[in-house]
Amino acid sequence: MIGIEHYIVVSSILFVMGVLGIFLNRKNVIIILMAIELILLAVNINLVAFSAFLGDMVGQVFAMFVLTVAAGEAAIGLAILVIYFRGRGTIAVDDINRMKG
Amino acid sequence: MSVGNSLYLVAPEIILSASGLLLLLIGAWGGFKSARLVSILAVTALFASSAVALEFLLNPAFAEGGDAFFGQYRLDKFGSLTKLLIYISAIVSIIIAPRFFDNVAGGRSAVMRPEYPVLIVFAAIGMGMMVSAVDLMTLYIGLELNSLAAYVLASFLRNDERSAEAGLKYFVLGGLASGILLFGMSLLYGFTGTTNFNAINQAFESGLSTGALFGLIFVLAGMAFKISAVPFHMWTPDVYEGAPTPVTTFFATAPKVAALALTMRLAIEAFGSQIAAWQQIIIFIALASIVVGAAGAIGQTNIKRLLAYSSINNVGFILIGLAAANQAGASAMLVYLMIYVAMTLGSFVAVLDLRDADGNQVEEISSLAGLSKSRPGLAAAIAIFMFSLAGIPPLFGFWGKFLVFEAAVQADLILLAALGIAASVIGAFYYLKVIKVMYFDESADVVVKSDSKSHAVIIALCALFVSPLGYLLIPVLGNIADQAAAALFWAL
Amino acid sequence: MLRSGADLPVDSLQGQEGNDLTDLSQYLPILLFLGIALILSAAFVFLPMGVSRLTGTHNPTVNKLTEYECGFPAFEDSRSQFDVRFYLVAILFIIFDLEAAFLFPWAVSLNEIGWTGWVTMMIFLFELIVGFAYAWKLGALDWE
Repeated sequence: MIGIEHYIVVSSILFVMGVLGIFLNRKNVIIILMAIELILLAVNINLVAFSAFLGDMVGQVFAMFVLTVAAGEAAIGLAILVIYFRGRGTIAVDDINRMKG
Repeated sequence: MSVGNSLYLVAPEIILSASGLLLLLIGAWGGFKSARLVSILAVTALFASSAVALEFLLNPAFAEGGDAFFGQYRLDKFGSLTKLLIYISAIVSIIIAPRFFDNVAGGRSAVMRPEYPVLIVFAAIGMGMMVSAVDLMTLYIGLELNSLAAYVLASFLRNDERSAEAGLKYFVLGGLASGILLFGMSLLYGFTGTTNFNAINQAFESGLSTGALFGLIFVLAGMAFKISAVPFHMWTPDVYEGAPTPVTTFFATAPKVAALALTMRLAIEAFGSQIAAWQQIIIFIALASIVVGAAGAIGQTNIKRLLAYSSINNVGFILIGLAAANQAGASAMLVYLMIYVAMTLGSFVAVLDLRDADGNQVEEISSLAGLSKSRPGLAAAIAIFMFSLAGIPPLFGFWGKFLVFEAAVQADLILLAALGIAASVIGAFYYLKVIKVMYFDESADVVVKSDSKSHAVIIALCALFVSPLGYLLIPVLGNIADQAAAALFWAL
Repeated sequence: MLRSGADLPVDSLQGQEGNDLTDLSQYLPILLFLGIALILSAAFVFLPMGVSRLTGTHNPTVNKLTEYECGFPAFEDSRSQFDVRFYLVAILFIIFDLEAAFLFPWAVSLNEIGWTGWVTMMIFLFELIVGFAYAWKLGALDWE
């Protein structure tokens, strides 16, 4: 029987993988965008699982909002990435170093 | 409670939403030429919303406030007061923008675009939702509306590499912060069974489960990102330096007020029955922000980076009021926020007024040498802002620091107050460095005269507010802040 | 029902000699939780790599590493860059596609939410149309 704790474990693992993806990845900014999506999807698993567990609709409504905001975030991230690429000609993470302090 | 009544309570946001959509269309069809018209209309809309917020704040008929949309949103004096601060910051950020964007050297995008005021208006709607949110869902939507507009604003100078990089960094770290915040909110929802602040508070009264504690800490970590408190401050200097200066002015004031207000509301209305669980974290974040803000500022040569560290430092002082976790502390935070907004707006507009003979922005501190001779008025204003940010007594900045320390002492956090005072003395060093460069160094003759009347008026007003004359306002400000803080504690 | 700040259960910093440090022990589960999640997620990443090395299946050859294209040899490098205009279309698609997701729960529950719900959705669609008009006017939909 799959209980609520299994969902929490899965979503926690996905969440940590997403955070690691942001910090360990040195190659490509697109991967960072994917890692952010992974974090948001981990949250959605949590919300929907809790919603079913509690028998409460709020979690599913919340998950809908998270989905749409995630789409907006991805769109804006890609747009910023495109203008960054036009200026610098690279999207390698190690090259984002114009400002240091 | 009818929907009509709800719409009435969210009037400031409705005004801004409707005008934001209209302005977007005007901007699309009018092109660059319409930028001036769009800016004027955006400022008008923000003034109208400020008037409504002021009415809600001062009219005794709204003293009780009210819940809108089935407990998603609450109108109260706390929200109205912080909204006023946000709208004022937004208005100033729009007024100062055209001169900056019209003068950026080179590049196709070197004109004021009509999207700029529209994005500021959208961000202001989001921040209005943030400070009035009493439900995790409203909180999230408001926060994201603000953040998404802010990412675009940071990279607004499309052909400037630093601006694009600032936008990218802000986006990545902001997205991470939203993710952490959201994960915490999902845990809070799961372990308390509700997303409403008051209901979460009631659930916490019977004890704090481990899962809910995780949620609480993740939420606080996400909020610490948004208010750029240590240890989540690393994006601040880069974004402040890279973003166009009017945008930096906006970032340093409005979103900071909104995020701090939201942190206060979360900590007190949602987590108020488990103060012990978050007080240690806030104390740590406050002290670390003060120390890192002061230490990081010392080696800086760029004045925008210096002001970024200064804002980290000031956030630390403001959080001392939250660590006190009482009504006096909340009231002190609000007074401090009002003074902080005036100081920050003033100092960034002063930075914006620094131009060399070719019309380029001057950002290096060493270029300020001899400013006291070439532009004595501006130098005096910058000196006032720097002394005030440092909290040196005759100036108004001191009063905010005094109030938060008083609240901390009242709550028996004597050690925290003592450490804070010691750190503020150390922090004064780097503010004094700027003043030394302006008044005592060999003249560098870089900065030329500016003919901008609007800059002069804004700088003069802010300087007047933070000068010792500001003390005359204490009874008024203190009274409003007390009422707003009381609105926050109504449920406890 | 207002309560003054003084009666709040303020946990003071009394006993700086270490009393407050013991309070931190309640955060221990979080460290454990993060540690376990870290180990598990690291295992997901590194275990397949390790296993393939140990079992000897890690044996890359030229033929193994080339792309598989319907049995033909690859015509060109599949990692070629493609036009940035695809991104623009993708961005617009993501947004309008997902905003439409709100229509499904709305359509299912229209009986319960009544005219208020109907008007709200019309306002939402109007806002989407404003965004669409903006994108159209600025030429985001033109390929050339």
